[in-house]
Amino acid sequence: MKPAIFDHLHPTTTQDALKALAMGGKAMGGGQSLGPMLNLRLARPDSVVGLSAIPGMTDIREERGKIILGAGVTHARIEDNDCAIDLPPMLRHVARGIAYRAVRNRGTVGGSIAHADPAADWISAMTALDAELVLQDGAGKQRRIAVAGFMLGAYRTQLAPGEIITSVEIRSQMRDAHWGYYKICRKVGEFADAIGALVIHPSSRFIRLVAGATGAQPLILTQLGAEIAASAQRPREQAIRDALGTNLPGLDPVKLHLMTTALDRCIQKVIPA
Amino acid sequence: MTAHRQITRNDADAIKPLPIRLTVNGEISDHLVPPRTQLAELLRDRLHLTATHLACEQGVCGACTVMVDGRPVRSCLTFAADCDGIEVETLEGWQGDELMDRLRAAFTRNHALQCGFCTPGMLATARDLVERLDTPDEARIRNELSGNLCRCTGYVGIVGAIREVIEERDALRIPPKSPPALPRIAAQGFAPFTARADEVASAAPAALGETTSENGWTIVRRKVTLDHPPKAVWTHFRDLPSVARCLPGADLSETDGKTFAGHVGVRFGPISARFEGAGEFTADDATQSGQVTGRGKDRGGQSNVEGQLAFTVHEGETPATSQVDVSFRFRIEGVLGQFNRPELVNGLVDYILGEFVANCNAVLSGGEIRESKGVSAWAVLRAVIMGFFRRKG
Ligand SMILES: Cc1cc2nc3c(=O)[nH]c(=O)nc-3n(C[C@H](O)[C@H](O)[C@H](O)COP(=O)(O)OP(=O)(O)OC[C@H]3O[C@@H](n4cnc5c(N)ncnc54)[C@H](O)[C@@H]3O)c2cc1C
Ligand code: FES
Ligand code: FES
Repeated sequence: MKPAIFDHLHPTTTQDALKALAMGGKAMGGGQSLGPMLNLRLARPDSVVGLSAIPGMTDIREERGKIILGAGVTHARIEDNDCAIDLPPMLRHVARGIAYRAVRNRGTVGGSIAHADPAADWISAMTALDAELVLQDGAGKQRRIAVAGFMLGAYRTQLAPGEIITSVEIRSQMRDAHWGYYKICRKVGEFADAIGALVIHPSSRFIRLVAGATGAQPLILTQLGAEIAASAQRPREQAIRDALGTNLPGLDPVKLHLMTTALDRCIQKVIPA
Repeated sequence: MTAHRQITRNDADAIKPLPIRLTVNGEISDHLVPPRTQLAELLRDRLHLTATHLACEQGVCGACTVMVDGRPVRSCLTFAADCDGIEVETLEGWQGDELMDRLRAAFTRNHALQCGFCTPGMLATARDLVERLDTPDEARIRNELSGNLCRCTGYVGIVGAIREVIEERDALRIPPKSPPALPRIAAQGFAPFTARADEVASAAPAALGETTSENGWTIVRRKVTLDHPPKAVWTHFRDLPSVARCLPGADLSETDGKTFAGHVGVRFGPISARFEGAGEFTADDATQSGQVTGRGKDRGGQSNVEGQLAFTVHEGETPATSQVDVSFRFRIEGVLGQFNRPELVNGLVDYILGEFVANCNAVLSGGEIRESKGVSAWAVLRAVIMGFFRRKG
């Protein structure tokens, strides 16, 4: 179906973009989530504000010990390491598992995080990597916020109306992190039924174990993570199941099993049997 | 940037078409495109390049896949207004393209098509694969083809054709465009350490209950606590308008206390919908339990929702509090149905119940309903719950 009518703006400065958003426009990154909703007429914004022409939105650079991905960087560019710096291998692995190449060629990292589908990949992966978002509002004010905690629930985030994500930042150290990422889908390229993500950076004493596709925000299993760090051993499957059960009471047994499996397998990638 | 105009729905004419110039199959053309024009529509309806097929229009099936600046993209999810200056290649093009000629021959040899509906998208994807992949690895090819649905050939011929052309490419010494390989890291372990305190508190969802699905119906059970004695809560709950007022976005347009009609506005991420419907309400004072059944349709009638909400009010842990057992049963059909994933429903129900309980507590304390910031976040679930509040008259 053809979308309901809308105006389409291509601002070339952040200020213009924010002005258009303040007037009720809907931001568009790659349109790979917004597009289907427009086509189905589930979304009927008065105007769509394309963000890709804004300077910096598609940059990938490294500064002050941080890898900075512009919000408009596509999944495919991350998959291909299509930039002047070396991206952490985990980013490339996660990117390759998102949707299909034709979708990855347009879908963006910022759009995915802003969209906050619980089953999407970046929100869980970036939580595990301790990434930060840089947000900008209509008054030109910038703020930083950790990806962990950014998502409030399905499709709900801390993004204020009229605010955009301009970049996603990861500590450069994360290049050397031990990592595991495992998602279970019914079909390759589908949204996940369960996601397990583990990042360990021993020299900065960082460990984060994340269960994704919970139906809400990614769940950080702090206690179990600390136990893994202290023992350097794989936890028993039952311990994973218990940790999930405590944090997500009332979980459907099939879902609990899938999530346990995804976590177990992501841990296996880091800690040998 | 173009100045922003406030658009009203019937002044489509007020929206200026945007000028674009693009090169399609080697030919340059200029167009004025209304903003809602998809690239697929431009190709098919204006340029009459009808090999590009449209099916799902959600990015799932791949039938509309074309090459834009040498990369496959979904032409159903690409707006023409974003295409100024690009080069597009469709099935009608690729004249004299060595890899495409070889692919066409290999598809024929391998009986890789039957009805041919998927073929234009398959060939665009295949062209990308034979150019990009470094080996004819079957598992990788099958993975990459998962975004192109074929209902006829079972993929055997298609995969075979692609493998053959990758081998032919290698024989011709055309180098693959594959990106640097991902370093293969074997699990290697690490020395134990004391994790630094994770500043991020794990959000512990307070939900007490479960969500299951059965024959297309989603069933949600929850127990919620209200800070008021059962009698007061029951008086509130047995009065339909007062309950409805606590559900943000809901509006009862008419009710006689037993039947009702109304609507609910829904926002769910970028989705906004408005459900209209009607239903019935019964309450039993003896057991302090009530039931609402309802049925509704969204604007444009693209989705139907029907459901049932049952609740019983008990004494809570102290006589001054109540526990309400709530159970929803609902079913969504139509385009919104895809958002009816049990785990999504789970998270949303908790959020919505939280808002609802806060509103009920406020009203019971003699206060006002909190102006719900939830209106923006109120989800399909709000619609769904309100689905219970309506049923055919
Ligand atoms: C068939 C298919 C399968 C998919 N499978 C997966 C999958 O397996 N895993 C996965 O993670 N994703 C998947 N996706 C989603 C895909 O990755 C999207 O590209 C992504 O989620 C959205 O990014 P986008 O740039 O296209 O955002 P858009 O569609 O342009 O925008 C999405 C939302 O984010 C907002 N937004 C966009 N950019 C910004 C910004 N910079 N600041 C503030 N708000 C912004 C928009 O207003 C909109 O509400 C799939 C999509 C399709 C079509
Ligand atoms: S029509 Fe574009 S992917 Fe199905
Ligand atoms: S040949 Fe018929 S769908 Fe593929």
